Amino acid sequence: MDLSLLTQAAPLTAIVCLVYTATRFELPEKIIRSALVMYGKTMVFLVSAWCLLYWVSG
Amino acid sequence: MADPRVSLRQPIVAALLAFLLPGLGHWYQGRRFKAVIFSVGILLLFGWGQVLGEGQTTYSRLVLRAGPDSPQFSEVAPVSKSSFGYWAQVLIGMPALPALLQEGRFNADDDSVGFLDTEIRSDFVGALIETTRQGDLRTPVTGTLQIVPSRPEGSRTVEGTITLDGAGGAVSYQLGGEVRLGRRVFGSPRRGIECRLVDDKGDFQSARIEGTIQRSFWNWYMAPMDTAELDRLHGSLSRQYDVAAVLTWIAGLLNLMVIWDAALGPAYGYGDERSSEAEGDGGGAGGPAPVPGKSAV
Repeated sequence: MDLSLLTQAAPLTAIVCLVYTATRFELPEKIIRSALVMYGKTMVFLVSAWCLLYWVSG
Repeated sequence: MADPRVSLRQPIVAALLAFLLPGLGHWYQGRRFKAVIFSVGILLLFGWGQVLGEGQTTYSRLVLRAGPDSPQFSEVAPVSKSSFGYWAQVLIGMPALPALLQEGRFNADDDSVGFLDTEIRSDFVGALIETTRQGDLRTPVTGTLQIVPSRPEGSRTVEGTITLDGAGGAVSYQLGGEVRLGRRVFGSPRRGIECRLVDDKGDFQSARIEGTIQRSFWNWYMAPMDTAELDRLHGSLSRQYDVAAVLTWIAGLLNLMVIWDAALGPAYGYGDERSSEAEGDGGGAGGPAPVPGKSAV
């Protein structure tokens, strides 16, 4: 397994989180804070899933 | 019901502008911070997909092969089916709308097969085919091609030359007779061509060329493509092409939420509601925060 999907997933996730939270709230501080939290959770999930699949396929 | 502190101005107009260009509706409403996020984020995602997919991720129709011949050479609009991915991509508005324009040009372009109305100079990739008693002998060749119509107003017959690259140096041949050209508008940067070789007197030789020449950007960008072109893209880009297509789909789908936000306001409220703070970032529309100086009841 190569890391290219994860390196593409990182900026993609950032954009999706930012745009998504911007459609949920109006206050810039709330948008940024929520986007960061969502980005963190999503990346933890993606990296965990990648590690699990790497371990299973090894 | 939108928070009264959010100015939606004319929601229908804002939604229409948001559809035409991500962020434009919010800019119109004076919600500049969100306008910049939507515009930069979504257009970046769509552009990223376009670059990864070499500009060929967006097309409104997929042309089906009806026989042994390539649909490029079909003299009537070939059978095609709607591209499901395009229904996601078109939500991004103007960046994807050229595909509909190209579909119209594609359907109206029945005269370009076998008819040349202007000079063509292009690189050539294909084969030199010599007819022998044992059958056709195909030799892969590359080179440059230059043809003009036999009559200035356009013609089905052409005159020209092809210069083929070779280990022993370039070799030129005369071209003449009827030409078979791929459709002018088609979702492939390469246009099919078939033409016969002639001698100095203009008599046909027992050889012809079959291959492709360049198609102008305006004639292939977002135009309907066929399954053979999709196969070529998957062959050369592999998984990168699928990732590119998905990026453009996501960009379009994100803009659907942006259109909604322009028309109805933010889904979870203004962002300073106490209930949403208490519930974490998951949302839940609570009432607006109490106005400073007034006690909450």
